Amino acid sequence: MLCLLVAQPEKVGDMNLMVIKKILESRCTPLIVTVNKPYKVLSKVYIKDGISPESYYVIDAVTQYSGGVCPPTPRVKYVNNPANLTDLGIAITEVIKQMPQGKKCIIFDSVSMLLIHIPSATASKFLHFVVNKLQLSDISGIFLSVEKGLDPIVMSQMSAFVDHIMDYDQAQKSPCLL
Amino acid sequence: MQGKRAGLTDRIPDGSTTDIFRTIFERIQTAILIVDPAAHEIVDANPLMESLTGLSKEQMLGRGCQGFVCPAKCGECPVTDLHKNILNIEREIINAKGERVPVLKTVAKADISGKEYLVESYVDITDHKKAEERQAALIAYLSESILRAKKPLELMQAEFHEIARRAKTGDYDPEDVHLELELHAKNLAQIVKNLEELQAKALAGKTAEIPPEFREFLARK
Repeated sequence: MLCLLVAQPEKVGDMNLMVIKKILESRCTPLIVTVNKPYKVLSKVYIKDGISPESYYVIDAVTQYSGGVCPPTPRVKYVNNPANLTDLGIAITEVIKQMPQGKKCIIFDSVSMLLIHIPSATASKFLHFVVNKLQLSDISGIFLSVEKGLDPIVMSQMSAFVDHIMDYDQAQKSPCLL
Repeated sequence: MQGKRAGLTDRIPDGSTTDIFRTIFERIQTAILIVDPAAHEIVDANPLMESLTGLSKEQMLGRGCQGFVCPAKCGECPVTDLHKNILNIEREIINAKGERVPVLKTVAKADISGKEYLVESYVDITDHKKAEERQAALIAYLSESILRAKKPLELMQAEFHEIARRAKTGDYDPEDVHLELELHAKNLAQIVKNLEELQAKALAGKTAEIPPEFREFLARK
């Protein structure tokens, strides 16, 4: 199952929390690809909401980019720059292999922030690559984005390769996202 | 009382007007074809029509207008069969190289020596179409540029509120706040860099017909 979730900018953080909780409730292991928050901050947000660091995996593309320290952490892989799509793609492949058997889901947070680092056309190609990888491995994917934050052409391309496009309210009401 | 003023061709004695009209036909800056409506055959073409199509007059004479300057099938001529008024309609003609040339087409019926003919005039609007395409591409390109700055900025604005809240409530240590502020400072610098690059690309392409960055958007239309 592939899903594009959109929200107002001030709700994207809440949407991330809601999504990871629903994924964990459905006994699925999440992998968060973050180009929005450093792992150190993200993990504290999660802990505050009762989400244990042992329950998810992270690919962090912003800590090193912003000059932060990247201590070796189990379940966390660092990529030096969000624009480094090659390393990001390799990291996704490696972490997926590292994850335990069973249901897996990638949460991409967020497509909108990725657009700071790469043009829409490149973002679209990269997301298509990720989607193909997920489909081949039978892994679910949830892409977070700011509402009306995507180029109409990227939006139409994404509509073609995801199963659902939902806003925050619809996603909240949905009993299961996967 | 003064009578109606006579034009040049009115004043020329019978028999010599042909030379004047021939000169106008050959010098006018509109491509013209004369078509026999009964046979749908080209019976004359002026030099501008030759340069528009890349075909000599001899190559055009006797040629059918259908499939050459008109996409209509036999029996569906918009003028003689469907009785449509063709006045400054955008069409394309295919030149000798097989390229499509956008034109404005007008067809008028004319009685010449007691027989009806179609006088078809064509104005090449290639430059106009290129300007239109360039404008459409430029608008798409600007939209993309704005999108790549506006939405991340809105997202960062929300993040700044969140950082301020955390700093106030003491939810997170100063190192976390520092890291997030560093991240957003780098993001802002990247947005400024993107805008500068987009501006430089747009300016660099100012004199080109359609710069490569714009063409990418045209291809995606």
